Amino acid sequence: MTAFDYWSITQGALATISLSLASIVLGVPLGLALALVRWARVPGLNGIVYSYVSIVRSCPTVTLTLLVFFALPQFGISLDPVPAAIVALTVSTSAFNCEIWRSALVEFPRDQYDAALSFAMPRATRMRRIVLPQVWRASLPGLVNEMTLQIKSTPAVAVIGIVEITRAALRVGSNTYEPLPPFIFALVLYGLIVFVLIRLQRMIEVRLRHGGIA
Amino acid sequence: MMHDFATIWSQRDVVFAGLLNTVILLVVAGVASLVLGALLTPLLMSRHKLVARAASAYVDAMRCAPFLLFVYLIYFGLPTFGISMSNWAAGALALILYNTAYMGELLRGAWQELPVTMIESGKAFGFRGLTLLRRIILPPILLRAMPMIGNQMIQIVKDSAFLTVIAVSELTHEMTGIQATYFIPFAAFVTAVLLYWCICLAIEAGTGVLNKIAEERRA
Amino acid sequence: MSSRHTWFTALQIKKRDGLRRAAQSALFAAVAALGIVQAAHAATAEEIKARGYLSVATEDDFKPFEFVDNGKPTGYDNEMLALVKKKLPVEVRQQIMPWSGILPGVTTGKYDMAVTAVLVTPERKGTFDFTSPLSESTTYYAVKKGSSIKSADDLAGKVVGAQTGSAMLSDLKAFDEELKKKNGGKGIKQIVEYQSYPETYQDLALGRLDAVANTQINLNSLIKTRPDTFVLGQKIGNPVYIAWAVKKGNSAALEMINGALLDLRKSGEMYQMQKKWFGASFESMPQSVN
Repeated sequence: MTAFDYWSITQGALATISLSLASIVLGVPLGLALALVRWARVPGLNGIVYSYVSIVRSCPTVTLTLLVFFALPQFGISLDPVPAAIVALTVSTSAFNCEIWRSALVEFPRDQYDAALSFAMPRATRMRRIVLPQVWRASLPGLVNEMTLQIKSTPAVAVIGIVEITRAALRVGSNTYEPLPPFIFALVLYGLIVFVLIRLQRMIEVRLRHGGIA
Repeated sequence: MMHDFATIWSQRDVVFAGLLNTVILLVVAGVASLVLGALLTPLLMSRHKLVARAASAYVDAMRCAPFLLFVYLIYFGLPTFGISMSNWAAGALALILYNTAYMGELLRGAWQELPVTMIESGKAFGFRGLTLLRRIILPPILLRAMPMIGNQMIQIVKDSAFLTVIAVSELTHEMTGIQATYFIPFAAFVTAVLLYWCICLAIEAGTGVLNKIAEERRA
Repeated sequence: MSSRHTWFTALQIKKRDGLRRAAQSALFAAVAALGIVQAAHAATAEEIKARGYLSVATEDDFKPFEFVDNGKPTGYDNEMLALVKKKLPVEVRQQIMPWSGILPGVTTGKYDMAVTAVLVTPERKGTFDFTSPLSESTTYYAVKKGSSIKSADDLAGKVVGAQTGSAMLSDLKAFDEELKKKNGGKGIKQIVEYQSYPETYQDLALGRLDAVANTQINLNSLIKTRPDTFVLGQKIGNPVYIAWAVKKGNSAALEMINGALLDLRKSGEMYQMQKKWFGASFESMPQSVN
């Protein structure tokens, strides 16, 4: 493997990480929005969100990516591979994030909320000042865990031809006719990234536990 | 659109074959990884430092590795060691190796919650080694960890879709073939998504039933 | 209770009603969309010119027709496209992607044209219109050097690989039917479908496959690069033409490209390209295969 080969696999890893980050940045607030819909028990939307979350959580990332990229054009929504990958990854992670946010919201002491209500706080202030700051801390471990899982499932977007780490390693392998070394390198590189994230996750958990509200 | 679904219906034996393959992979990988995971857990908790370190290095490696890359590693790596396996077998092996680590880890979590008195009274009655494991320790931790095992099974189903890249004819692979031949991407993939949903609902229902049994046993 | 509080409660109830109605209409819209969904329509010549570009899709690894070398797309189709581009009034936006998405992408209107090696088959003619042909092709099989398969009939009881959704796969399946008739029921043991050919060749080299079915042009290119690993077998299909494909009825895009292709034939550049990439030129192809 030449230096160029190592570089192209590293570039692939960077591409994969940026896709993960984009989907995480979009997916966390989207998950919160979905969780709020379920928490507020909005009559019609409640059922839709429930079904959406249930279906998306059981859908493999590969199949979801293929659906978004190949099937949406039939509805006139034609996306390039990278936006399609971000949409698919965001949809997937938002469903999981919804459950994480929701479990924290459900555990939120209702009396605090009622107290805010009795003070006639407008809804926005209620959410911003009372609910979210506390719920955010409770959900953080789950959210960070989901981020790690999300980064691990991002290589699924290789199936729509994005030159991310898997496709880069495949190309190097098919050019040099030695498929194993590029994949060992890719696995070690990507594994290190995930390992660093898991360490970070543990640090955050420890800090939260000592920081007070768990 | 209805015409597209009619085409899928006409290909239903292909779809069914893919679905069956996914379910078979789930059962094989699920059972094997659960059994091997149950054997891994005592190694993780072993008093011999070296054994425990080796076992947790294995678990950490599997938790850091993305499954797709791991699949390719097995797929390309085995032949270099002279082991020739079919694509299906290589895929199943990857699923088993990957999920054994997860099963071992979650069983370990359940083990640590087990009251020490239970194990001690077992030892007082003369249970040792493998029998101790099989009759005293495993039943309660399996039942306690049932929801997490159910989650892991769902993860196995989702990971099985990755095997399409090494030409294992599971559900996603067959659907990709159908949509490429008949140009019906939406119908094909929506059907696949709904079928995966059904499998996962079935797993959740099964886990719920087992959970009820566990509750009754504990009470 | 302050009046402000009752106002908020009333507002919440109203909001919930409004939200419910919004949800119902969203549901209705989704159902309606499913009923009347239609693929994006093929653009007319004026629309293409107004848009300013033609969107095309090309496969990512199908040597020697199209492949990526050091990040740049190259190969026969890509170089032909470069020559054609010079003669077009609009720009060309190319998407490199796996084969299984290209033809469905053309049918759903995602791409105007598949600028990739599409074999012209009667089944495809029902859904696509084809440009003036760019090459001829016959499906052959290849085996690993030292294989026991000496003739096409030896494929009985063996494992053969081909690309999913390709005409070579259909040729292989048709050949399997013939084999079964000849041998009284015994055909190819298993046909394995792959996303693309590099993985197929790898499995052939590793021994997971006994043979691979592809066009003789592709297989010749493979054997030229790895003569000590692979050997060409015999043909298992009939000669067909290779052309670029548009959705049926999309005559605007077709006319634009056909004009350029026929010019390139007259000037001889097409035949030079063929000699460069295939080692042979096909000079007696018809002008139209529709």
